[in-house]
Amino acid sequence: MKTNWLVSSRLWMGMAAILLIGFPFVSDSRSALILLTQIFIYAVFAMSYDILLGYTGIISFGHAMFFGIGAYTTAIFLHRWDHTMLAFLVSLLVVLVLTGIVSYLIGVMTLRLKSHFYAMLTLAVAGLFLVLAEKWRDLTKGSDGFTFYIPDVLKDRTTLYFASFFFMIIMFFLLKRFTDSPTGKVLQAIRENEQRTESLGYQILHYKIIASVVAGLAAGMSGSMYAITLRFVNTAVFGTNVTLDALLMTIVGGVGTLFGSIVGSALILLVHAGLTDLAKIHWIFERWMIFFGALYILAVMFFPQGVVGMLRQWKEKWKRA
Amino acid sequence: MTLLKVDRIETYIGQYHILQGVSFEVKQGEVTVLLGRNGAGKTTTLRSLMGLNPISTGSITFKGESIHHLPTYEIARKGIGYVPEDQGVFPDLTIEENIRLAMQKSDDATLERRDWILNLFPDLKTFWKKPSGLLSGGQKQMLAIARACVNDNELLLIDEPSKGLAPIMVEKVMNVLQEMKDRVTVVLVEQNFYMASTIGDGYYIIDDGRTVHSGQMAELKVNESLKKEYLGIA
Amino acid sequence: MDVLLNLTINGIATGSLIFLLAAGLTLIFGLMHVLNFAHGALFAWGAYFGVWIYTQTDSFLVGILGAIVIGGLLGWLLERWIIQPVYTNTMSQIQVTMGLLLVMNECLKVFFGPNQVSVRLPDYLDQSWLLGGVILIKYRLFVIAIGILVFLGVQYMLKRTRLGLIVRAGVMNKEMVQALGINIKKVFLYVFILGSSMAALGGMLFAPYSGVIHAGIGMDYGILAFIVVVIGGMGSIVGSAMAALLVGVLGAFMTYFVPSVALAVNMLLMFGVLMFRPAGLFGR
Repeated sequence: MKTNWLVSSRLWMGMAAILLIGFPFVSDSRSALILLTQIFIYAVFAMSYDILLGYTGIISFGHAMFFGIGAYTTAIFLHRWDHTMLAFLVSLLVVLVLTGIVSYLIGVMTLRLKSHFYAMLTLAVAGLFLVLAEKWRDLTKGSDGFTFYIPDVLKDRTTLYFASFFFMIIMFFLLKRFTDSPTGKVLQAIRENEQRTESLGYQILHYKIIASVVAGLAAGMSGSMYAITLRFVNTAVFGTNVTLDALLMTIVGGVGTLFGSIVGSALILLVHAGLTDLAKIHWIFERWMIFFGALYILAVMFFPQGVVGMLRQWKEKWKRA
Repeated sequence: MTLLKVDRIETYIGQYHILQGVSFEVKQGEVTVLLGRNGAGKTTTLRSLMGLNPISTGSITFKGESIHHLPTYEIARKGIGYVPEDQGVFPDLTIEENIRLAMQKSDDATLERRDWILNLFPDLKTFWKKPSGLLSGGQKQMLAIARACVNDNELLLIDEPSKGLAPIMVEKVMNVLQEMKDRVTVVLVEQNFYMASTIGDGYYIIDDGRTVHSGQMAELKVNESLKKEYLGIA
Repeated sequence: MDVLLNLTINGIATGSLIFLLAAGLTLIFGLMHVLNFAHGALFAWGAYFGVWIYTQTDSFLVGILGAIVIGGLLGWLLERWIIQPVYTNTMSQIQVTMGLLLVMNECLKVFFGPNQVSVRLPDYLDQSWLLGGVILIKYRLFVIAIGILVFLGVQYMLKRTRLGLIVRAGVMNKEMVQALGINIKKVFLYVFILGSSMAALGGMLFAPYSGVIHAGIGMDYGILAFIVVVIGGMGSIVGSAMAALLVGVLGAFMTYFVPSVALAVNMLLMFGVLMFRPAGLFGR
């Protein structure tokens, strides 16, 4: 096999990482820093979705519920208890417990169902969480949401930038490890052919629940981080749009690659930022969801392998040539 | 005259290469029997003819016209009737509705054919307005054959009509197929060698997705080694 | 007592609206195994465009007809260009129809602005009678009447026409229908158009019923219709009609007595049905 430095994805990843680490030292653009921070956090959320969609072949329309649980839990802890690192870390622990329980229960109850029903049910359950967040005003202050203080350490945008960056890197390697594990291999076998995997003696439901819990935990953590960057939370975090963002990022980046979710997150948020700027020129760009929605439909129909999938195909061709 | 010519067709189902070169010819007015073990590819051959499992290479020519690129419904309209292995009757529809659904026209010729076929299968008339799911296996088989004959079809593809039937019903179905012989040409997939040898004219043996042998039924009847090798009949 | 009666009538009217949406959903799913997440968007489009035509022409009936036509046209476009390419791929189908819901809702905001639009009834429908303590609101009766008419029409189509015969057969065995020489794709298209126009009609009737419309009604009522279809059994029109009445009436009572859990009750009902009677409450 011919090795070629040009197509070594590790090398490219390493270079990207160095650039990103160096970025805060060469740029003083606050907005760019915030945008990148958001990209890192959304990348984790999209990767968690990729565990479901790309690695197990499950479509959930309610993934935002874990994101929302994470965001609200951290926000409430910091707001009600104390805005210290301790409170934040405890809140992360609580997020893991809560999302673990919720994803497990939902998995047990609904993953037996056919994909249509599962998709619809998760949509509806996420809707219930949204209603819950709106009605439980004592805790959530309704749909207006509330602002809160974050631990002093994280107040510095650069620190938060690095925290998010390493959060993404750590989650990437953890999830990568998970997908490369024997369990992860079984999940991919389920995606390829559910019946065959079952006939090999694997308990499909059991493995799907594991995937759902892992995805739920990761999504919850990304929700916590998201709340920290905004210092504000409202019911939007439970919205269907949040789930669809993850779907879009995963699809555009390339399903079943994890790394594709990072690429997708970057692409979508950069385009989003661009479109928001354009909204000053023409109001139609305020309705950027139309562009994303159309892009999403086209991507599913004509471009199912995504950016990373496409690059991999090129790479294979290059190697063979 | 050759009514149907199948030339080296290959068919994939998913990633499985089921048919790897099936060729045979069907002469007008004859009953051509496809023989072979379970899983040899006989059912897939019929399904490929109907376009239900489209072929990847090869060609299918019916009445001098290539039909393998057509969608299933157009193949059917060219004059090919299909009786699948599970009979494919619509259990919640009545017998009358099953037949009406199959009738592509309601002109006098079609009505005449319907009455003719119903006279062959008086049971169907008895349960005319009953859901066909209530019929016995043999009656369902008759309904399926009747449905395939009600249009002006020149070719019938019949998949294992004797399967799961009591010997007396097998006899009945056989008699009907005999009676229809002067009206239509038949491609018959059949495991029941008695039935196959009684009504069949020419035969083809399919093994591992390929046609491996062919000839006249009369010769096969006395060729014990061939029967043993491909059909497992001692 | 009078309250209960009023709530029941109210619930039946809501049920009729949900039925108009659920009927198409269940037919499309039963025949084509496509769960159209964008079905609710057709409801919203029917409402917005119907109301727009109504205000332009000043005729409610023309508005209703317009909604039906627009629903049918949309159904034709969607089936032909978006749904057909993904018929055999369930995963893509779910994702594409969901994306469609989103895009169609956003389009409404572009055409009609992001704020909700208020709708007034024409005078001749804006009446009510007091009948021994029970208030009979004319428009509710009108909605119920249309619901019944559509139900009977669909039943007639299914039981008495060749199209209906093909649909019923196609629900059981699509391959065999095609092997009998029937172009089932054409039938898919007809059913999709029919389902879409019913959804749009439902949306148009909903508009003055609620008084205001916003782009989110597509999603809200889409979920309700889905609940109804699950409870009634996928593919069953009669089941959907009964389930729509159940959900409508239950919803009316819940909203009156314990408003905070109204949606949750329907959800739990659906959960229970999916867990224990996946063929639906009224299925076999």
